[in-house]
Amino acid sequence: MGRYVVRRLVGAIPVFVGVIVVVFILTTMVPGDPARIMAGQAGNPETIARIRKEMGLDDPLHIQMWNFFKSAVTFNLGRSYRNNMDVNEAILGRFPATLKLAVAGMVIAIVLGMTSGIISAVKQYSILDYSSMLLALVGISAPSFWIGLLFIYLFCVTLRWIPGTGTGNGEFVYLILPALTLGIRPAALIARMTRSSMLEVIRQDYIRTAWAKGLGARTVVLKHALKNAMIPVVTIVGVQMASLLSGVVLIEQVFQWPGVGRLFVEALTYRDFPIIRGEVLFLAGLFIISNLLVDLSYALFDPRIRYD
Amino acid sequence: MRRHIVLVLAVALVMALMGGVAVAQQPKYGGIWKDALGANPPHLDPVFATDTTSAEVGYQIFETLVGLSPEGEVIPLLAESWEVHDGGTRFVFNLRKGVRFHATTEGGTPTANGGREVTAHDWVWSFNYICSPETNSPRAYFVDMIKGYDDYVAGKADRLAGVTALDDYTLQIETSYPFAPFIQVLTYNTFVVLPKEDIEKWGTADFNFHPVGTGPFKFEQWLQDEKIVLSRNENYWMKDEYGNQLPYLDGIEFRIIVDYTIEYTEYKLGNIFQSYVDTPYYEEAKSGAVGQFFERPQMGTYYYGFNVELEPFTDKRVRQAFNYAIDRETLIDIVLEGRASPAKGVLPPGMFGYNPDLEGYDFNPEKAKQLLAEAGYPNGLEVTLQYNTNLGHKRLAEALQAQFAMIGVKLNLRNVDWGVHLDTVERGEVPFFRMGWVVDYPDPDNFLYVLLHSDNIGPQGNYSRFNNPDFDALTEGARLEGDTEVRRHLYQLAEKIVVEEAPWLFIYHYVDHSLVKDFVKGYELPAFGQYTNKFTKVWLDQ
Repeated sequence: MGRYVVRRLVGAIPVFVGVIVVVFILTTMVPGDPARIMAGQAGNPETIARIRKEMGLDDPLHIQMWNFFKSAVTFNLGRSYRNNMDVNEAILGRFPATLKLAVAGMVIAIVLGMTSGIISAVKQYSILDYSSMLLALVGISAPSFWIGLLFIYLFCVTLRWIPGTGTGNGEFVYLILPALTLGIRPAALIARMTRSSMLEVIRQDYIRTAWAKGLGARTVVLKHALKNAMIPVVTIVGVQMASLLSGVVLIEQVFQWPGVGRLFVEALTYRDFPIIRGEVLFLAGLFIISNLLVDLSYALFDPRIRYD
Repeated sequence: MRRHIVLVLAVALVMALMGGVAVAQQPKYGGIWKDALGANPPHLDPVFATDTTSAEVGYQIFETLVGLSPEGEVIPLLAESWEVHDGGTRFVFNLRKGVRFHATTEGGTPTANGGREVTAHDWVWSFNYICSPETNSPRAYFVDMIKGYDDYVAGKADRLAGVTALDDYTLQIETSYPFAPFIQVLTYNTFVVLPKEDIEKWGTADFNFHPVGTGPFKFEQWLQDEKIVLSRNENYWMKDEYGNQLPYLDGIEFRIIVDYTIEYTEYKLGNIFQSYVDTPYYEEAKSGAVGQFFERPQMGTYYYGFNVELEPFTDKRVRQAFNYAIDRETLIDIVLEGRASPAKGVLPPGMFGYNPDLEGYDFNPEKAKQLLAEAGYPNGLEVTLQYNTNLGHKRLAEALQAQFAMIGVKLNLRNVDWGVHLDTVERGEVPFFRMGWVVDYPDPDNFLYVLLHSDNIGPQGNYSRFNNPDFDALTEGARLEGDTEVRRHLYQLAEKIVVEEAPWLFIYHYVDHSLVKDFVKGYELPAFGQYTNKFTKVWLDQ
């Protein structure tokens, strides 16, 4: 397993290099001059020229590319064009908020999604099955920012159960609505995947044998069936976790949550290349690690899987 | 009967006195002012701030030599008074005694300056620091008329020759020519006094995250994208009319809320005490049912620029036709719920030099069609308007699309983000574009010279690339003219030329709005807009 992990990490190097090249090319091609944006409306040309020089934007492209490569490899991504903050500090400072939100969202998604998926599979074609799958369809189809606004209107403005948006002073109550909003879509995906995977498993011979042996429903469903139905579900959970970490932009915007998503949007608006590049590399790293953890977890559910 | 009259009069007198007492209610100390910022400000260091969000926080922490009254007039701040000598080229500022830099910051940590008194030498150092090419402040060029500026910026001199301390409390600034709005420029939020020790301690880049000034509030905490917390400066120099130490508030908490809907919701929930009023909430806010509503003209103009170097806007008649084609009043009523005033020209009402008798363009589609026909477009034409992505800009552009269709103009809309918009417009690549301007300092120079003089074609502000020698001569003359009435006349003549030549589609002048909780006292909405508000005299009656 150790060799497998090392092999996967070594395999990630070309992926990183590819990400570095692509993100550099994309940020270079995008129209809009960060120096002009920094100088504001009615900026002075001499000042703009000095800012460009300071940012290294006057250097030939291959020099800029090499500088970026060096900074990426040494994890010294420079300072934000917009406010001079160290890029690592800017990203890592906001990441705990995003992680907290993503983990809470994923917990909600797993609990809701797996519960409804299992019930749907066990009670196939029942009213419970139809209603939970209908809810799952709504969860997948409805835009999360819209659900978020509805939640704010209902729970904050009308019922006044939740004090408002933002993070307050870190109280748990502020986490509920954004996490719930964030968890709905992955919950729907997990529910559908759990249902289909469980349906496939519970029709297999060994499950029939388990029923024939007179085992209780809980043992058959949760121990024998669910464990074997988990591999595709774990894949979905892993991919969704990485997506949640990188894709909370809208939720962070609606709930004024100070995470990496908002930082990214702001950086794009102001052509803050160091932050954009830093965030893309950071998120690429998260995806790679998340996928690796998912692959490693397969063995927990299916002992036949070996990492050689 | 007589006794009854005396009794009634006595009761009336007592009631009047009680009313008087109520009016002169003593301010209460304490409480945290909770407010919203529309973005995570890039710069709490005013030397680098070019945006209103940064300025809104900066105004609480730092102070300039001269300030602005709520009406937009220049008033003394850290300079108690000033004299102008040598034909407007030498300014002598008598500095206020007893002004101290913040002694503590960020949870009681002592500042590097130790809370010492500000002297003229600090001002000399600050001006040199702001204008230094190593600092590279994006707004230093506002004072490029100071004697020796060019040499200093070019590295030919080691200091600004024109800024000197005559003694500890007297500062002298000399300019190379008599720049009439120089005092007004000094109200701009970049030109503050800075503590040398703290800047040296943190360095230019990190001072942004540990700002120290002389203002009524001290910096405490900046949680990125979340909130900025300020605390009361216990050594602040200003006192109220009763001799009470200011500010009244214990502190300020600015929450970063990037959406007007959420901001308004948070206001209604009581989590913030002041909110911007977006169009959908205007009627409710105006009714007075949800708090004190403030509304006043803001010194800014919303316009669409024509690039006069690109077809079809090289022809003045096309530009004039566009101006005749729009019904500003209807547009403002329908799209903006009446929250603006129609623009006849460039300068907004309330600005020195504003001409109430300026003729401008009425809504006259027939005249517009006739002008288009004369310009060679009898069957109309097709143009594209570029605007930066924003719901408000979109609403207005769509309404104008319908109005232009009435004169046979097919208006296509193209929205791009602000960075692309600014870049392409400044490069002169866009024939027809949205733009707006709120003054940096209260003088027509900041409108007419900056936005329309041929010296400023390109990124400096003249995006229409308007080039008119008569206009240039008038605005140049007004910059140097010391006589107020002559200046006013020159600006009015210059504005007439702009209106006639129509390098802009003049649309509306901004009106600012603010909604404030009923228990908030001492709040005023400044003429420059909410972002320039200082909360020195605000108190909470809770």
